[in-house]
Amino acid sequence: MDKMLLKFISFFYPVLEKAGVNTAQLNEILRVKLLMDIRRPKSAFANRRAKTTKKPKAANTSTSSIRGDIGLVIIGCLASVLLFLFKMPMVGQIAYFSMFMILLALTLVSDFTTVLIDTRDQFIIIPRPVDDRTLALSRFMHITIYITRVALLQGLPGMIMIGFVDGILAVPLFFIQIIEATLLCVLLINVLYFILMRSTSAQRFKDVISYFQIAISIIIFAVYYLVPRLINISVLRHTNILAYKWVYVLPPVWIASVNEVLLHASRANMLIVFSAALGLILPIIGVWFVAKVLAPGFNRKLAMVATSDGSSNSIANTKKQYKTDFRDKLANLLAPDPIENAGFKITWKLAARTREFKMKTFPAFAYVPIYFIYFAFNNAGQTLSEKYEQVQKGAGYIFLIYLTTIVLSSVLQNVSNSGKYKSAWVYYALPIDTPGKILAGMYKAIIVLYFLPYCLVVSIVTVCIWGPLTINDLILAFSVCTMYGMFMALFMVKGLPFSQPVIVKARGRMVISLLILGLMVGVGFGHSFLRNWETLIWLLIIPFLLGNWLMFHHYKKQSWDDVEAAAADI
Amino acid sequence: MSETPIIQIRNLSKFYDDKQVLKDLSIDIFPGQVIGYIGPNGAGKSTTVKILTGLIPDFKGEVVIDGMNLADNPLEIKKLMGYVPENAELYDVLTPLEYLDFIGKLYGMADPVLHDRIVKLLTAFGLDKNINDRMDTFSKGMKQKVLLIAGIINNPKIIVLDEPLSGLDANAVILVKELIIRLSKEGKTIFYCSHMMDVVEKVSDRILLINKGEIIADGTFESLKQNHADTLEHIFSKLTGREDSGIETDAIINAFD
Repeated sequence: MDKMLLKFISFFYPVLEKAGVNTAQLNEILRVKLLMDIRRPKSAFANRRAKTTKKPKAANTSTSSIRGDIGLVIIGCLASVLLFLFKMPMVGQIAYFSMFMILLALTLVSDFTTVLIDTRDQFIIIPRPVDDRTLALSRFMHITIYITRVALLQGLPGMIMIGFVDGILAVPLFFIQIIEATLLCVLLINVLYFILMRSTSAQRFKDVISYFQIAISIIIFAVYYLVPRLINISVLRHTNILAYKWVYVLPPVWIASVNEVLLHASRANMLIVFSAALGLILPIIGVWFVAKVLAPGFNRKLAMVATSDGSSNSIANTKKQYKTDFRDKLANLLAPDPIENAGFKITWKLAARTREFKMKTFPAFAYVPIYFIYFAFNNAGQTLSEKYEQVQKGAGYIFLIYLTTIVLSSVLQNVSNSGKYKSAWVYYALPIDTPGKILAGMYKAIIVLYFLPYCLVVSIVTVCIWGPLTINDLILAFSVCTMYGMFMALFMVKGLPFSQPVIVKARGRMVISLLILGLMVGVGFGHSFLRNWETLIWLLIIPFLLGNWLMFHHYKKQSWDDVEAAAADI
Repeated sequence: MSETPIIQIRNLSKFYDDKQVLKDLSIDIFPGQVIGYIGPNGAGKSTTVKILTGLIPDFKGEVVIDGMNLADNPLEIKKLMGYVPENAELYDVLTPLEYLDFIGKLYGMADPVLHDRIVKLLTAFGLDKNINDRMDTFSKGMKQKVLLIAGIINNPKIIVLDEPLSGLDANAVILVKELIIRLSKEGKTIFYCSHMMDVVEKVSDRILLINKGEIIADGTFESLKQNHADTLEHIFSKLTGREDSGIETDAIINAFD
């Protein structure tokens, strides 16, 4: 497919040559970049899906790229359902293109960081005799090819569906609409990146992008689970969002208008004609704008990021004296043993500063309330306030508390993995007699840094909604949850903090993890059954805390043999 | 030594924000010279190299290379240059053959000649068995060899080497040192940046010492020895203001008390 695209582009070479582009170099850069794309494991959706379904992902590049392609087509199929859903065809198209553009923008946001911000270009291509125009164009074309691929795969099902919905003439028009929507996406992403690069320092730039990705993935997750619960589909069917005039500022409306104007001219009013014109013209202006205005500034900024030595910052920093802050005091209090203390602090600091770790674990914090609302508001045919009352009367809070184990397990599963796992050589090179002490420090840090604060928030919410009688339940449930965490730690997490490459976990682990989960579900049901015997609940807290303590002691004694056996398992 | 310098640097200054990292640098470099460019961290060494190789396009002053002004004619100048960067950056999902082919094509080289040259160079550097392996499996030394080849693939007049020996084993170090001397005999100008004083001492026929953005010593190793001290290491520490090393080591040893 890439070869075909290159062939296709080569038709334009005579024109480009006249514009002063070195087409031989252009061709070469594009060929190599596309080759590298195929060999690089895909990032965006493949990973995220693999995570939510808790299925390990094969590291094999070629299959993962094919799987990524199939994934895009499936997403496209789901989106094309929107074309049928609504009574008004134009509303269906608006919904489709909204979905299409959001999904495309998502893919682009995550892939631009790896594709576009390849700082290696700075040392590999810039010292060679390649002029700025050729380089800028190669970058732009590379992105265009990349996006075209994604957009076509994702748009293919919709293109077929529209034939059934709107007749055969709509198909070629739909193709154009997809192109226009794609161009608009490129413009939006470029503007977004441009603003981010302007307003934040280069170092923080990637952080901001990753928070953005986390936020969007949570939103998608929430929309997927909650919209059907909270909104009535049959009402939705008849919605006519076009009745609101403000929707005409939304790009998907412009794109959908194109179809309305050209194929159903009788239905279109002046406003729709105007927005259709916007939909046709704006993307083309956008491309020009990106190429002329945004891209050159981009390159300059990138050059600065890659060539700055960072030495200018160091002067200011040297004057700062190291102060012991509350984290150190906390560490000394909770983990007095020096080795345990080291494990505690290293976990705390790396967890708080490692971008990839945050990317993987932060969404879990949002999954808890989303799952809770999803299950608790399950009863159909009531108004929202009735549903709320129903929830308040029930024992849903126990379910809510037990859901917090999602956070715990997500943190525990990722804490020993890192892209820079090789730095962990220190654990092996230093005279540490029982690595269990580091693990113990790590476990304490996770509990204190992530789990307890989260529990506190959940507790406050629970007490507010269900009243203070739930306090004993909260304590019991949380001690059960930490016990679950302890089980997870004992059987699944034997890697030292951030010490292992991010790879597929062995299948055998799945069984253990399901067993642990099953046990906890059992305990949870037992708890909800016993919840009205308040004294019993208070009493039950004692054995569970004791269990926690015993298991923790065992965990602390993990020897090098245990750790290495677990590493060999993986 | 011929009359006209191949690299003329006149009043070169560079600022990062308010901080001046190069202060009115003026250097003439003649064809066939091996320049040992040394200086402590943060002295402005890398900045000079990045300006010469076109990585930093904005600077004050004038750089003329082979009669062409760097600011006006960067492309023609880049064609004359080979560059081995300090941070071993390469596209490591490619094989060395693919990577070098890419670099060669960017220099506008055509295929039969280019392919032939790549294979010969890779073989000469002992990488003939790995010619079709992806470089993400390569050791640091192997990657460094590929970078070295990429730096000379276009048979450049001027070669800029920034710490070219990092990761290389002893035999490869000998090879590169001999290669530098051979290349200079062929009339190539070599700009060699390094912290390894013993190597610089041996390969360079002119040493430039930069400190805080200024050239503070310029001459052959022999002439520097006469004026300052007996080894390049001592000359370096004396001129960069670290005369009495006893104080620092005392402080280190005392830290254990």
